[in-house]
This record gives sequence, structure tokens and C-alpha cells, in this order.
Amino acid sequence: MEILSDNALMLQVKAGDLEKMGLLFQRYHRPLYGFLYHMTRQKEYSEDMVQNVFFKLLKYRHSFIGNGEFKTWMYHVARNVLSDHYRNPKNIANHYPVADVEEKSSSSRLPDQLVEAKQDVQLLAVAMDKLSNENRELLVLCRFQELRYKEIATILGINEGAVKVRVHRALQELKNHCLLLAKE
Amino acid sequence: MTCNDYKEQLPAFLAGELNAAEASLLQTHLAECSECSAELSLLQEVWYAMAALPTEAPSATMQADFNTLLKNYRQELPHGEGLFTRISNRFRHLWRFQPRMPLAYGLLLVVLGLGLGYLVRTPAPASTPPVTASAGRIDSLATQVANMKQTLMMTLLENPSASERIRAVNYTYDINTADNKIIKALLTTLNNDPNVNVRLATLDALAKFAKEPMVREGLIQSITNQESPIVQTAIADLMVKLQEKRSVKELQQLLNKKDVNEMVKTKIEESIHQLI
Repeated sequence: MEILSDNALMLQVKAGDLEKMGLLFQRYHRPLYGFLYHMTRQKEYSEDMVQNVFFKLLKYRHSFIGNGEFKTWMYHVARNVLSDHYRNPKNIANHYPVADVEEKSSSSRLPDQLVEAKQDVQLLAVAMDKLSNENRELLVLCRFQELRYKEIATILGINEGAVKVRVHRALQELKNHCLLLAKE
Repeated sequence: MTCNDYKEQLPAFLAGELNAAEASLLQTHLAECSECSAELSLLQEVWYAMAALPTEAPSATMQADFNTLLKNYRQELPHGEGLFTRISNRFRHLWRFQPRMPLAYGLLLVVLGLGLGYLVRTPAPASTPPVTASAGRIDSLATQVANMKQTLMMTLLENPSASERIRAVNYTYDINTADNKIIKALLTTLNNDPNVNVRLATLDALAKFAKEPMVREGLIQSITNQESPIVQTAIADLMVKLQEKRSVKELQQLLNKKDVNEMVKTKIEESIHQLI
């Protein structure tokens, strides 16, 4: 079977072949879940939001013109869903429970070296928690979603140079938080 | 390039955003500069640790959930999925968007309005032919305007300002038909107005109605009342102009008055001479 590009599939959805949205979901629900999970640390919320994002893509399929990438459009919608999520005070309280990470990492016995690595990761998780939403988002998009600076620029609606500067600043901030935490 | 410039490039280097030339330039610098390479190893540590951050795996049912959602959504849509049917559905939707009842009410109102308008309009042309009607209307309008001017004049004549009273007198030039009320008002002004200029203007205005016997009599009677030499001269002139022989008696009375100006006396004598 011929492998169609994201945009080609989305244009088919737009033309009325809604079934094709299932294929796009198959391709993207994991990375999208990853993005939302790293932003919220909430499995259930993230899963709900993934469904919500794809439902919105379906509902607003007519607004997809095809001159931009499907992926950036999807992240754009996801950011809106996410900001709605943050706006709900009920969700803020549950946001990013670091204790969860701790519990999971200490759930099984590990060799010493691995324990050390796990402690580093724990420390990093706390440091990530200290970042502002904007900076965390940049690092998540860049590191976890492995998006190019150019794609990030489109999603955030800024230019590539600004992305470069902001990623630099965000990574510096994260590094500094890590160093401070390591001293404690 | 300074160390700071290179340091700023480090995240981009880690993310693979540097082009080949930039990357090799940076690597050459890193080989020489221990500070920058230390910074890189720090950032690298954070960068790689990030990849190890735990992520809870999403539920396996996500795809199935979405497929159900998709199926439900498709069933909610109006039947037919082809481009053409969708477009025609849109048009049909647009048409449905306009509620019919209000539309019917609207039409009904228009018809009702037309009918009412017709009913109200019909009686007028039935009684009189349109041309006469409009001519009559113009006449009545003209009369109304004349009446208004009259009223305005009467009011203005009582104004304390002399210039306003002169204006009032001047209005009479617009009134062609001599109305008793106007003539009376003008004569009163001529005899009683404290201002000489107003009296002169009134005299001019009255000269226009000189054909009226009432005006002539009024003027003759007014001769003896006048005290201002200018007005006296003006009346004498007017009498000559009108060839009013009845005024001789009054003019002679004026001559006999003691306080009459010498110049005026000569003038009046001349006038009497001309009249006789």
C-alpha cells in the first residue's frame, strides 16, 4: 500500500474521507501523548487531551489548508487544549506530582550504577518542575518531540532565531536548577 | 567568535541544528577551550538525562477509543460524504438557517402596509382633480407665508432695537397687498417712533401704498405731528410727489409753528408753491 504523507491524508479527511483520521491518529497519538504527558505528568488527563485534540482536528478539518505541515497544526491545537487545561483550577492542583516519579523509580531493586542514574533522573524531574511552562514546553518540543527549530518556530508563531535563543536560555535554566539541587 | 558565542551554540549543537560548517568550527574551538568543553559536558549530561525521564505508557485502548469516537462523529454527520453532497448540504443548511415563519410574517407586513397605504391614499384624488389641488395648496401656502411675515413684522415693530424696527418696516416691501392692519401699524410707527431713521424708513414704506386713500389721509394728518426737520422735509417732498393738494392746509399749519427750522420753512414754502 502506498504510504501517503500526513498532509495528503489530512486533505482526504477534509474532502470527506473521515476514516483517514484514524491513520493520522495511529501515527501521532504517541508523540502527542508524550508532549502532553511531559507538560502535565498526568496520564489520564493527557490521554483525554489527545482524544480532545484529535476531535478538534476532525471538527475543524475545513480550516486545514495544507500549506503548513499537519504536525505543526496538530501541536498548535494541542497547545490551545493544554492552555485550556491550565486555566482550569481543578487541574492545576494535580499538576506535575513529583512524588509519582519517585515512587515509580524506587519500585524495583536496581544495581548501584542504575540507582545513581535514577537519582539523576529524579533530580532532573524536579528541575523540570521548576521551569516555567514556556521553558518546559520548549525543551519538551525540542528534546522529546524531536522537532526541528523551524517547526517549533511555526508552532509558537515566532522566528527561528528566537527559538534558538529561547532553547539556549531554557537549557541553561534547567542546568542551573540541576546544579543547585545536586548541591543540596 | 567569543566563548559566549560558542556557548550559545551548544544547545543547537546538541539538537543537531547546526550546519556542517558551524559544527566543525565549534568542534575546533571545543578542542582548544577547556571551559567551553566543560560546559558542553554539563549540558550534555542534562540533555541525555532528559531522554531518560520516565513516561507512563499510554493505554492500549487509545486507538480503539478514538475509532469509536470517529464512528460516532461520522454517524452524527448528515448522510453522504462526497464532496458534492457535502457542498449541497451546506447550501441546504444555509436555506434552512432562515426560519420560514418570520419570513412569512415579514411578507404579510409588507402586503398589509401596501394595502393600508392604498386605502389612505384613494379618497384625496377622488374629490378634486390633482392640478387644482396642488395649485390650491400653493396658494394656501403663499397666504400662510404672508401671514407669517405680517406677524413677524408686527412683533419686530415693538422691538426695542431701532435696527430691528427698520428691518420690520422693510418687510412690508415683500407684502404687495396693502392690509389695513399693516398700514395702521406703519402709521402708528410714523407718528410715535422715537427714532428718526425708523420714521424715515416707515415713510418710504408708506409711499409704496400711496394709492390707498387711508395712507394719504394718514400722511396728511401726520404732517403736523412731526418735529424732526428731516422727516418734515421728507413728508413735504412726498406730498409734492403725490400731488396731494389737501396737504396744503397742514403744511401751512406747520409753517406757523414757532420752533420750526428756517431751512425747513423755506422747503415747505417751496412745496406749497408747487402744490398750488
